[in-house]
Amino acid sequence: MSASRLENFLARIYIDAIARERFLADPRGEATRAGLAAHEIEALVNIDREGLEMFADSLRHKKARKAHGHQTNQHS
Amino acid sequence: MAAVAAEAVVVVEAEMNGDRVGIGWRPRLAAGILSNLDRIDIVEVIADDYFRAPRRQRHALRTLAAQVPVTLHGVSLGLASSAPVDTKRLDQMARLCSEIAPQFWSEHLAFVRGGGIEIGHLAAPPRCEATIAGALANLRRAKHVVGVAPQVENVATLIEPPGSDRDEAAWLSAIIRNSDSSLLLDLHNLHANACNFNFDPQGFLARIPVERISTLHLAGGKWIGRAGAERLLDDHLHDVPDPVYELLEVVAARAPQPLTVILERDGNFPSIEALLAQLDRARRAVVRGRERSLTRAEAAA
Repeated sequence: MSASRLENFLARIYIDAIARERFLADPRGEATRAGLAAHEIEALVNIDREGLEMFADSLRHKKARKAHGHQTNQHS
Repeated sequence: MAAVAAEAVVVVEAEMNGDRVGIGWRPRLAAGILSNLDRIDIVEVIADDYFRAPRRQRHALRTLAAQVPVTLHGVSLGLASSAPVDTKRLDQMARLCSEIAPQFWSEHLAFVRGGGIEIGHLAAPPRCEATIAGALANLRRAKHVVGVAPQVENVATLIEPPGSDRDEAAWLSAIIRNSDSSLLLDLHNLHANACNFNFDPQGFLARIPVERISTLHLAGGKWIGRAGAERLLDDHLHDVPDPVYELLEVVAARAPQPLTVILERDGNFPSIEALLAQLDRARRAVVRGRERSLTRAEAAA
């Protein structure tokens, strides 16, 4: 159950800039409020912040490409 | 010069012994692919593009499948999740497979949604027992609904998946060894993850069940991020880099079974000749790998 909560939490911080900002300001608090298990909270406190920003940025870029009519799929 | 190149391709094809090299179908590449089917063994079609396609487009896909071996590649099932796979999407895949009768179908070991939120991309799940169990349950369900287990593909990631308690080789191997699925190993995804998270891709190959690899993907990407902390983005918009061909040769040397190699290109398209040249280079890498394997076997005899 907690595993799917973690996936839901990740999906939100990957695509929602406000949720991500809130999380980065207080990772332990946000993860605790999401009802995650202790080891998941620790993992999020130690998250790869550089990778998170890069991934979020790539998602934004992909969305923009799609909006401009570029051919795209889940890969690119 | 062209005659020499053509002759070389014929020689390489004769040495392929069941290995196949093909390309991902994209509308912009259609004319180039259709006019070069003598140099393309197989075509990979994005299944999701046809789930809600009008009858005319599905007819065109059937016509394509009558001309060249076709595989269907899914991008939205989200099989590697602790959440159950979406039944509606699975039914759509089953219908398309039934209609097109592809050589095989494939999907990614990724999660693509959570809590009603569509990520819009393939995200690497936490590499832990829960996502292994979830992926295995989803693969059983996929096989039951579609009738055949999908080949499953490793994904590239820019972020080390939070909540992981093992590395990618251990996680991937557990899924392959405990399912009926064979592995679609994306060599650019492997290369990108190895660059981004500082591991040896050949060491990775030594730890996974290479005898379960059926298909290999080739693609290219670009470096992004601030100076000194760049990461390799698998964007399918660039040519296949040298290290990916080197990995292809290593796999061909280690895996005795027939391999299917697919070049994926999603945009920034070069000429069809430039893409065909990448297919030819892939064929040569496979042949070199097979020769290495043979030499090793002869030395051991």
